[in-house]
Amino acid sequence: MSFSDREILETVRMVELETLDIRTTTLGISLFDCADPDLESACEKVYAKVVHHGKDLVRVAESIAGDYGVPIVNKRIAVTPIAWIGAASGAEDLSPFARALDAAAREVGIDFIGGYSAYVEKGFSRADRALIDSIPQALAATEHVCSSIVLASSRAGINMDAVARFSAVVKDTAARTADRGGIGCAKLVCFANAVADNPFVAGAHVGVGEPETVLNVGVSGPGVVRSALARLGPEADLLAVAETIKRMAFKISRVGELVGREAARRLGTAFGIVDVSLAPTPAEGDSVADILELIGVDKTGAPGTTAALALLTDAVKKGGAMASSSVGGLSGAFIPVSEDAGMIRAVEAGALSLAKLEAMTAVCSVGLDMVAVPGDTPASTIAGIIADEMAIGVVNHKTTAVRIIPVPGKSAGETVEWGGLLGTAIVQDPGRYGCEILHRRSGRIPAPLQSYRN
Amino acid sequence: MARRFLTAEDVRRANAPEIVVEEGTVVTPQALEVAAAAGIAIRAGGGAWKEPPPDRGPDAEAMPQRLPQLPEPRDNPALESAAIVTAVGKNRPGVLARITAEIAAQKGNVNDVSQKVVEGYFHMILTVELEPGASFETFKTALECLSSPEDFAVRVMNERLFRFMHRV
Repeated sequence: MSFSDREILETVRMVELETLDIRTTTLGISLFDCADPDLESACEKVYAKVVHHGKDLVRVAESIAGDYGVPIVNKRIAVTPIAWIGAASGAEDLSPFARALDAAAREVGIDFIGGYSAYVEKGFSRADRALIDSIPQALAATEHVCSSIVLASSRAGINMDAVARFSAVVKDTAARTADRGGIGCAKLVCFANAVADNPFVAGAHVGVGEPETVLNVGVSGPGVVRSALARLGPEADLLAVAETIKRMAFKISRVGELVGREAARRLGTAFGIVDVSLAPTPAEGDSVADILELIGVDKTGAPGTTAALALLTDAVKKGGAMASSSVGGLSGAFIPVSEDAGMIRAVEAGALSLAKLEAMTAVCSVGLDMVAVPGDTPASTIAGIIADEMAIGVVNHKTTAVRIIPVPGKSAGETVEWGGLLGTAIVQDPGRYGCEILHRRSGRIPAPLQSYRN
Repeated sequence: MARRFLTAEDVRRANAPEIVVEEGTVVTPQALEVAAAAGIAIRAGGGAWKEPPPDRGPDAEAMPQRLPQLPEPRDNPALESAAIVTAVGKNRPGVLARITAEIAAQKGNVNDVSQKVVEGYFHMILTVELEPGASFETFKTALECLSSPEDFAVRVMNERLFRFMHRV
């Protein structure tokens, strides 16, 4: 088979100049067989199983990156929600599991391990409660462990008791990592309609209905789409814009499909899904905000942003769906504020408010991601922000998430540096009005009606 | 189904000079430590226990049959290990010779060459077929080692990547 020079140079350019990469290869490992009435034995099994299955992951990912010339940025492991595994032990504090996961992650040399998780959209089991209460301690004591809690679903509604408890956990986690700008919260996320095969942290875990072990891949490539739109120019009509994004998303996703198949083959495991997401990094040009601005808004957050993002997310999904029969995970466009240089610029310029960001999450693939608020924001206000985001997901039958960091000692407008992939954030103002009474009411917001959808 | 794990607690409880486990059992590092400290031998399948290959589950067992059947955009399966070599740099006598000599040394067969010189810089693309069984990684390393910052840069990518990206 021969390729034209144009095709070959396009691929080389994507990798060399437009930061095309495989954002993550995530090995999912079921831990159901690790449940044990003895807490110590259960942790021992968890450690042994993760190391046993995960020890080749980094080597395989690196050999594929070498063979195909496409960087694989992160190697991660996702496991069965620990609340389900820890239940058999009856322990009040499940943080020993977090330490076992952290030790295993260090041993196999991966970046993050996701699955310190629980599903509580309708109510708590004893283990769910124990897990949630132990999150601040677990995240402060570990480096690689990520925690996710499912607070709502379109079938169950929103568990407001869980929202309240979760927002207290967020505050506590921030306080315990106050010396590092509350960074513990960057490893903590809550979901509505969580997906069981998400390869991206902090929400990665292996839900029910997943194989014993499974290899999922998350692709990236905002830089590729951005350059293609820059070449297309401002005169092209919106169908041409959508078409260009689709084509690029197709090409990016094909790389994910190739790497996923190859990684699964070399590891001897089942291949799960390709998560077709535009995941930005703080690197210049690797930005979703830049894409929105190329589509035609002055600054991200200006009127028209939600429409542009809707077009982008949909076109990415369409291109991805053609490229792989196993599209899954979150698939769409991520808008993590601190991890996207363009988003930071928009916040700095005063163009992107928290309210506009929330509107954008109705059409993006995740939700309020890596948003910094003042450290003295009341738990009730954080609960309100989370409940709003959950409501968007529940009513629209989509996945939404909140990863919010109340930065200790900082007030609105100040900057916080987390470094690395987590980037820099400007503390955003949640407004001066709260929702104390809503917060104090306990119970659940019922599931929405499926018909009469207006 | 055989037991899945042997833990330190299991070893302590067994309280025997020898523990025999089914093949495929994962003995935790802590169990190994406790057994070694107490002089307990852990055996499987007639010999000392060795870490078994990971049991990836029923879906993984089916994968070898499934993966080759997934449609792949290729018209010539023989080209399984073909490489696309691109090089850019300042044009000077002998550049092409140096690169192709290394390809020949690696027993690669050049199927296609295209070269352009624009304002003193050359741009070259070669499609190279590797010998059956040849290591792609060795080939890639050998070629990319020719690069030098002040002269020219060579990049080697697997042809399969281009098939996936540009052919439906």
